[in-house]
Amino acid sequence: MANRTDPLAKNIRGTNPQNLVEKIVRTKIYQHTFWKEQCFGLTAETLVDKAMELDHLGGTFGGNRKPTPFLCLILKMLQIQPEKEIVVEFIKNDDYKYVRILGAFYLRLTGTDVDVYRYLEPLYNDYRKVRQKLSDGRFSLTHVDEVIEELLTKDYSCDIAMPRLKKRWTLEQNGLLEPRKSVLEDDFEEEEEKEENEGIADKSEDEKDHHRKSPERERERDRRRDSHRHRDRDYDRDYDMDRDYDRERGRGRDRDRERDRDHYRERDRDRERGRDRERDRRDRARRRSRSRSRDRKRNETDDVRDRDRDEPKKKKEKKMREDGTDHPDPEIAEQNRLRASLGMKPLKM
Amino acid sequence: MIEVVLNDRLGKKVRVKCNEDETIGDLKKLVAAQTGTRAENIRIQKWYNIYKDHITLKDYEIHDGMGLELYYN
Repeated sequence: MANRTDPLAKNIRGTNPQNLVEKIVRTKIYQHTFWKEQCFGLTAETLVDKAMELDHLGGTFGGNRKPTPFLCLILKMLQIQPEKEIVVEFIKNDDYKYVRILGAFYLRLTGTDVDVYRYLEPLYNDYRKVRQKLSDGRFSLTHVDEVIEELLTKDYSCDIAMPRLKKRWTLEQNGLLEPRKSVLEDDFEEEEEKEENEGIADKSEDEKDHHRKSPERERERDRRRDSHRHRDRDYDRDYDMDRDYDRERGRGRDRDRERDRDHYRERDRDRERGRDRERDRRDRARRRSRSRSRDRKRNETDDVRDRDRDEPKKKKEKKMREDGTDHPDPEIAEQNRLRASLGMKPLKM
Repeated sequence: MIEVVLNDRLGKKVRVKCNEDETIGDLKKLVAAQTGTRAENIRIQKWYNIYKDHITLKDYEIHDGMGLELYYN
C-alpha cells in the first residue's frame, strides 16, 4: 500500500512515475529504514520539513547499494506528484540549498524541456558548496552550479537515468527559448570595451561565442581545411602496413634474419613488386592503381627514414600504433579500439 | 591475454578478452560495453564471493576460460 503511486497521479513519459527509477534501485529504496520510517504517509507539506533536514545528496553507496535520504525523498516526490507551483517554490527558495537541489532534480525528471531550461539555468548563479556522497561511501565537495551542470548535460545522475532533454540550440531555433544570457556577460562586455580601447579586437569574437551554444563555424572551417593534411599521413601508414604484413607474414619464420639481410634491398623490391602482387590477389587491384603515386611518396620517406636510423628496425614495429588499433587480426584490433575509447591499455598478446 | 566467460543465467553470456594484470573494475567496464548495462550496476561473483573492483584478475587467480557469475546491483 505504501509503495503504490497515488491513483490520481498522471503518467510521466508514458509510464508510472515511479518507474523513472530503475527496478533494482527502487527495491533497495523500499527496503531501506529511512523510507519505511520517515517517508510513510508524507504529503507535500511534511515533505518540505524532511527536505530541510537533508545535509547531503547522492545516489546509492556501499557494497550492497544503500540509498541516501535524498534518493528516498526523490522517489517519494515521484510517488505523491506535487504540483508544479510547489516544485518551483522549492527551486526559488534561497535558504535551504538541498531543498533547491531536490526541486531541481524533480523538475529535471518530470518537467518539459522548456521548463527545465527556464528554471534550472538561473541556478547556475548559485555557487554554494554542497556535500555529495559517492558510490564508495565517501563524501566529496561540489557546488550547486556544478550539480545543475550535471543535470543539464549528463544523462545519468544519482543512480537515476535522466530523460532525454532537447538541446538548447533546437529550442532557440524553434523560438521557444531566448538565447542564453549569462550573468557574467556584463563583465565580459566591460572587458571587451577595455580591450578594444587598447586595440586588440580579435578576442571579443571568441568570448561572445562562448555564451552561445551555436555551432562555431569558424573553427569548423579551420578544422576542415587542415584535415586533409593529416589524412594523407595516415593513409600512407596503412598502405605500408599491408605491404609489410604480406612480406612478413607470408614468408613466415625467419623474420629477424631477413630483416638484417634484406633491409637495404627492400627499397628495390618495392619498385618491382611483381612477386608480391601475384601472391596477394585480393589486394592486387587496389595496389596497382595506387602503385605509382605511392612509390614516389614512399621512396622519398624511406630515404629519410633510413638515413636517420642507426640500426635497422623491424618496419612493422615502427608502423604499429601504440594502442594496437591496427593489429592485423581484426577482432583484436576492434577490441583494442574499444579499450582505447575506455581509456585502457591494449591487449597483451 | 586471457578470455573470461561471464554468465548471468538469464540469457546473457559474454566472453571478454582482457589482460591478467587488469582490475575487476576494468573488466566491468568491458562487460558493460558488451552488454549495454552500466559498469556501476554490475556485480561479479563466484558463489558468494563478491569480487572487489580494485583487485587484479591475477590476484584473484582468474585463468583463461574461467566462468564468472554476473549479477546486477
